[in-house]
Amino acid sequence: MGIKDLTTMGESQVDIKNEIRQRMDKLVEELPDFCFQCGKCTSGCEAYKLLELEPHRIVALLKRGLIDEMINSDVIWTCMSCFKCRERCPQRVAPVDILFSLKNLSVLQGKQIPGKFTGMLQSILSSGLIQGIQEVTTCDNRTVTRDDLGLPSLITPDSGSFQVSKIAIEKI
Amino acid sequence: MKQYGFYLGCLMPTEQYAYELSLRETLPHLDIELIDLPGASCCGEPMKSINQLMTLYLSARNIAIAEKKSLDIFAPCAMCHLALTECQHILQHNESMKNRINSLLAQEDLEMKGTSRIFHTVDLLHDVVGLDLLKHAVKNPVALKVATHYGCHLIRPSEIGRPVDSENPQKMENILITLGATPVDYPQKLDCCGAPILAHLPESALTKTGQKLQAIQDQGFDALVTVCPWCQKMFDARQQKAGEIIAATLNIPVFYLSQLLGLALGIDKKKLGLHLNHSSVNSLEVEEL
Repeated sequence: MGIKDLTTMGESQVDIKNEIRQRMDKLVEELPDFCFQCGKCTSGCEAYKLLELEPHRIVALLKRGLIDEMINSDVIWTCMSCFKCRERCPQRVAPVDILFSLKNLSVLQGKQIPGKFTGMLQSILSSGLIQGIQEVTTCDNRTVTRDDLGLPSLITPDSGSFQVSKIAIEKI
Repeated sequence: MKQYGFYLGCLMPTEQYAYELSLRETLPHLDIELIDLPGASCCGEPMKSINQLMTLYLSARNIAIAEKKSLDIFAPCAMCHLALTECQHILQHNESMKNRINSLLAQEDLEMKGTSRIFHTVDLLHDVVGLDLLKHAVKNPVALKVATHYGCHLIRPSEIGRPVDSENPQKMENILITLGATPVDYPQKLDCCGAPILAHLPESALTKTGQKLQAIQDQGFDALVTVCPWCQKMFDARQQKAGEIIAATLNIPVFYLSQLLGLALGIDKKKLGLHLNHSSVNSLEVEEL
């Protein structure tokens, strides 16, 4: 998928939307039935105490088909993707993966992408990495980069071949 | 020498130079040769919230680059290690997705077969190098009482295969004991560093960081040891900021495991990038080492 599509939703993306919709429908149909609301996911959730994310509630809302409501809520972006809920669920429901799908769907529907994600994505599409080579400060206040430290120069994807990747990503 | 494709990821080669320096410096002493992988890109994990298929494509592309050289992969970042392992796991179990990704990779003359094994710093030292060889290589035991932080992505989800146990990881502890340190378990050991939400909820992220550091400081540890550039960035470079956010004075030295390894092997501090740590690692060395 191209950056233009992600940030402006300039072009329609019927295929991808269908695919993610299908994934969501599959999740709605299958996963939440196994959930018996034991709350083990929420008791260990890294984002619960600080940001009031309740994974068991996300699963319950999904069971009721309240996908649009969740997509419009900021709460799906509070997940720290620590995978404790997936690890500890006795029924293998994986709220963290439900949250990833909800966030993907939210992006596809043109909702505002929070924070620095857009910048990181632009950087990946132009240089292959989430950011360029940074200057860092030493303990005696000098500024250095890779070269000064004697590290080999970084060979990122060359723009010619990565162009292909970009097209590939757009097709995704 | 055993050869590994050195998959750098994003954060280590663009900012967390100390990790790269110390790995490149120490591993050749332990019979490990690192081969660079030109043209490798981001693993895609930071973009998983935006588009999971993009994550899968980018991970498969990087694995394919290593496979083209018939190399196993050494991914020292916990996030990259998860992305690559999960990609391999998904494509092994989903033939149609594998074909779809490979048809895209074919344009760059790449193919992801799933033959390369993926290693992280912890299992490379613990299982490949082995504690016996490590013990013989130690010249200056590092006598510190240390807390360990593995990073969430390194220990979970165990379903796809992780290098350490998900609820009671001990491999770093075993390595540190071999290096002469005294690792002690603590209640907050499995808590998150906060990095995954740094991009959009920085204050909450740094609150997580600060709370964990405060707990470690209160329990009287000499230092914290990490094995992930994201976790290290939070605990080391952002320590002061995290302290400001939770209104506490934090002063706990934070090392990469490979830096302590280098000190134990008797390697010069500067070659290990210790002058790049922002936490007070240098004051500690003068007193203790």
